[in-house]
Amino acid sequence: MGISFSNNNRRRDNNNRRHLHHYPPPPYYYLDPPPPPPPPPFPPHYDYNYSNYHLSQPLPPQPQINSCSYGHYHYHPQPPQYFTTAQPNWWGPMVRPAYYGPPQPQPQTQPLPPPYVEQQNAKKVRNDVNVHKDTVRLGVDDLVPGHHLVSFVFDALFDGSFTITFFAKEEPNCMIIPQFPEVYSSTRFHFQKGPGQKFLQPSGTGTDLSFFALDDLSRPLQEDVYPLVISADTVISPNSTSEQSSVHKQVTLAVLEKDNDRCFKVKVVKQILWIEGVRYELRELYGSTTQGAASGLEDSGSGKECVICMTEAKDTAVLPCRHLCMCSDCAKELRLQSNKCPICRQPIEELLEIKVNSSDEQH
Amino acid sequence: MANSNLPRRIIKETQRLLSEPAPGISASPSEDNMRYFNVMILGPSQSPYEGGVFKLELFLPEEYPMAAPKVRFLTKIYHPNIDKLGRICLDILKDKWSPALQIRTVLLSIQALLSAPNPDDPLSENIAKHWKSNEAEAVETAKEWTRLYASGA
Repeated sequence: MGISFSNNNRRRDNNNRRHLHHYPPPPYYYLDPPPPPPPPPFPPHYDYNYSNYHLSQPLPPQPQINSCSYGHYHYHPQPPQYFTTAQPNWWGPMVRPAYYGPPQPQPQTQPLPPPYVEQQNAKKVRNDVNVHKDTVRLGVDDLVPGHHLVSFVFDALFDGSFTITFFAKEEPNCMIIPQFPEVYSSTRFHFQKGPGQKFLQPSGTGTDLSFFALDDLSRPLQEDVYPLVISADTVISPNSTSEQSSVHKQVTLAVLEKDNDRCFKVKVVKQILWIEGVRYELRELYGSTTQGAASGLEDSGSGKECVICMTEAKDTAVLPCRHLCMCSDCAKELRLQSNKCPICRQPIEELLEIKVNSSDEQH
Repeated sequence: MANSNLPRRIIKETQRLLSEPAPGISASPSEDNMRYFNVMILGPSQSPYEGGVFKLELFLPEEYPMAAPKVRFLTKIYHPNIDKLGRICLDILKDKWSPALQIRTVLLSIQALLSAPNPDDPLSENIAKHWKSNEAEAVETAKEWTRLYASGA
């Protein structure tokens, strides 16, 4: 029976193997790092929760602590810092055990270095016009029964125009192509620069949506045709004839859900920014200061401060989960020890440092 | 020595714990070592620990907040996830630790553990067995231990 590890000592091995199952739990009380593991007779199974441990065994007295003769089989890859709690009061107020002393440059608790994660500085692009995506509404035109009017709040740094299209597709080169031009043609409205403006489509210019079934309005058609598309274009140099090169627009793509029998609820699916031929998808960062201020919970990690040092302002976001939660120094330190987002524990693929200087916010 | 270069985070957490304590939880740092906290958790109502006052100790290791605080019950307690040495089987104290968690959230989690014993992930095999084979009786034992050891006297 059985596999033995040494042909010469078959009997002893068998004894050892049998004993292993009867032996008391591994020495969670030893103080020095475990000796290098012998070839384990079975795979190590210690997994940080004590579920495999039987604690009926009385604790050995102190002197035995360092001589754990049977501890080897429960190979643990890390110094058993936690285990030492088995000594009552070992970290009590008076005593500071030696190995807690100088901080280690490379933390011992990491068996493998975490994968290298790029920490990048965010490239800044200026959004000349922004439609607040949570303010887009579709209301009933009181003067024209059955027709609907679009409204929203926007900020604009320059004059420009909105083009509202129902059922349109985003084509390369930031063209918005209506899919049913005979029924739903685009309507265009000019705006002037200024922050926090309210746009309300004038009465009489509304759209009748009764041609479509509700299902067609509540999701994109063929993946990329959106029921409601608002394109906000700014005119930087009105004299410029080469519109293609200086185009700067923000496109809001939305679906419509039936709210009650007369109203639609607008759900913005995404927002695209086109700046000088480059397409950016706008995505929110979780934990940015504007959001966090409202919650009023200082401890919940939604405040302005880095969740790690609780001192510096947070300026580094974790990608792909988009949690803006750390200052750049803590992000660097975290990167040495972990590859998990502090907020959601998703693996970190990239760290994005976002520097906002106050002069830009004024603009 | 331990108090001289205490990170600001620890100072802030301590101040908040003292100024706005969580309901049923008190934590105050030791005078000798600002990383060592004396903790009291009241047994949650509707649990076998109701009416009990449980003492714990909490220590913030040098690596904190990159490493979890070390927490241990000092008051004897009959609970499948707490062993006779007071050690606690709670994932956020081990592999699920995140530096975004705090002393407050850890203690709230321990308080929640008292309300929801989990005998399927036991630390005390015997108590867990008892819990699974005869829950009513195990709860009675837990109540009795609460009266005996956690009466706050």
